[in-house]
Amino acid sequence: MRALVLILAAVVLLPFIVRPAIASEIWIFAIFGLGLNLLLGYTGLLSFGQSTFFGSAAYVAGYLLKHYAIGVFAALGIGVAVGAISALLVGYLCVQRSGLYFIMLTFALNQLFYFIAYQWTTVTGGEDGMPGVPRPAMLGIDFRDPVAYYIFVSVLFLLSLWLMKRIVDSPLGKILQGIRENEVRAEAVGYHVPRFKLLAFVIGGAFSGLAGVLYAMLFGIVPLEAIGFVTSGNVVFATLIGGSGSLYGPIIGSFVFIWLSESMSVVWARWPLLLGVAFIVVVLFFRGGVVEAWDRIWRFSKRTT
Amino acid sequence: MNLLLGQILNGIATGMLYALMGLGLSLITGVLNIPNFAHGALFAIGAYFLVSVVGLLGNFWLGLLVAPIGVALLGLLIEYAGVRRLYAAGHDYQLLFTFGLALILNELIIVIWGPVGISHLPPAILRGGVDLGFTFYPKYRLFVMAMAGLLVVATWLFLEKTRYGAIMRAGIENKEMVSLLGIDIHWLFTVAFALGAYLAGIAGALTAPIRGLSPGMGVDMLGIAFVVVALGGLGNLLGAIAAGLLIGVAQAVVAAYWTEASTAVIFAVMAAVLLVRPQGLFGIR
Repeated sequence: MRALVLILAAVVLLPFIVRPAIASEIWIFAIFGLGLNLLLGYTGLLSFGQSTFFGSAAYVAGYLLKHYAIGVFAALGIGVAVGAISALLVGYLCVQRSGLYFIMLTFALNQLFYFIAYQWTTVTGGEDGMPGVPRPAMLGIDFRDPVAYYIFVSVLFLLSLWLMKRIVDSPLGKILQGIRENEVRAEAVGYHVPRFKLLAFVIGGAFSGLAGVLYAMLFGIVPLEAIGFVTSGNVVFATLIGGSGSLYGPIIGSFVFIWLSESMSVVWARWPLLLGVAFIVVVLFFRGGVVEAWDRIWRFSKRTT
Repeated sequence: MNLLLGQILNGIATGMLYALMGLGLSLITGVLNIPNFAHGALFAIGAYFLVSVVGLLGNFWLGLLVAPIGVALLGLLIEYAGVRRLYAAGHDYQLLFTFGLALILNELIIVIWGPVGISHLPPAILRGGVDLGFTFYPKYRLFVMAMAGLLVVATWLFLEKTRYGAIMRAGIENKEMVSLLGIDIHWLFTVAFALGAYLAGIAGALTAPIRGLSPGMGVDMLGIAFVVVALGGLGNLLGAIAAGLLIGVAQAVVAAYWTEASTAVIFAVMAAVLLVRPQGLFGIR
């Protein structure tokens, strides 16, 4: 309940603190993180290929928005479907292997989609990206207005959060957590583990797809990086820094990550280097995520005073 | 037909380099049980070290000797200062660490050597080609084939015929047991990381005169190394060679007819193999 109040307050206040575009990006990235966390936090599957679903959805829905002038809801529906279907294809190959093999396969298949996007320049624009993705008006609301679009994004974010909470609290969510805790036991109890892993993959892919479409409409372009491995790594980082142990972790992580990348990118063109340093600092010193880091800083300041 | 034969030879040369990458990654991943996302960056650093050493000393052979050793030392440092603290941390944090490292190394390459690609000529003695009867073939690629083959054999001899190699194989199978037998497991981890880094570095150095250098070369190779390990199996030497040659030749043959698809085909071949054999080529899980 307290978390919900905090999130609602953040949704209302955020556009007054940062530009609406950045505020929208934070919630979009949070949706992306929610999808990953179902895999990483709840099922114990470390997917390093989430941008496959994010980027595929952004490209397909963006292309249809641009060339066939489909509506906003059609675009969202198509994005979710593309995210889920691409996750089904990738997941089918990956869930049959476990551990380090699983991680490497998600990355390798991410590269397959990346190189298709890179070379299929007539559709994707290759390295230049696919510009000119419109934000069509709906029910008389002009989404080209950044605030209107922000409200639309935050409503979708709240819906996604509600849905994800329903999923993790449902029997399905409990089975996935059972698989995370002890795969052999879940199998022994009679659950077909690969099938449930695949289901988690598809649901996570659908969330990624939704985030991908919203991202394409936010910036009006699908950059090649949207389907690249860096995007996959960023969402893993955001989820871990927020804390993969909780439903709200990816939301905190999204804040921290977007804030970090926005402030670093104005400092230096080679800012991924700083981001890499941030990754390593977090891993070596703040492994429990933001919550633990805050705790440590607090204790440290108390000791010094 | 001659074009095709030439491409198959090209595929064997690059396939051997892929096998080297997979072999090094397999050692690191197998012995240390960590996902090494910095393996591609180590490959790229190997290539750039070669160019710098050759530029400094003017001798390709010295470069080929020194550059991979530099990468091995870098690997030693990475394991000793960072990875070592993370053995109990879980794959997610290990991945974030090696991925962060890859980002740093990649950006350092751009800072030090510039964002533009560099081309690098093979040494004078290996320039030009030889007549193989059916085709005129570049000498340097033949050299790469021989060199990579030699390294694979040397690695095999080390792993199968020496005491240290036996310890390393035992480490892949069962770390607790090795440790119980009184062997310093940390030492083993450090050596395995350095050795894997060495193989990545020399693969990078050998690649430089074939494909030239660019900051993106590491990431491209990382995906390929993962494919080799996923298909060949961890710690499986023959698997690495078979997988490397398979994707190397497939890539070269496709490149002759449909250049644009030549990189995507590597991953498509992997997906196709996994559809039929989810457990990889030799069924090692």
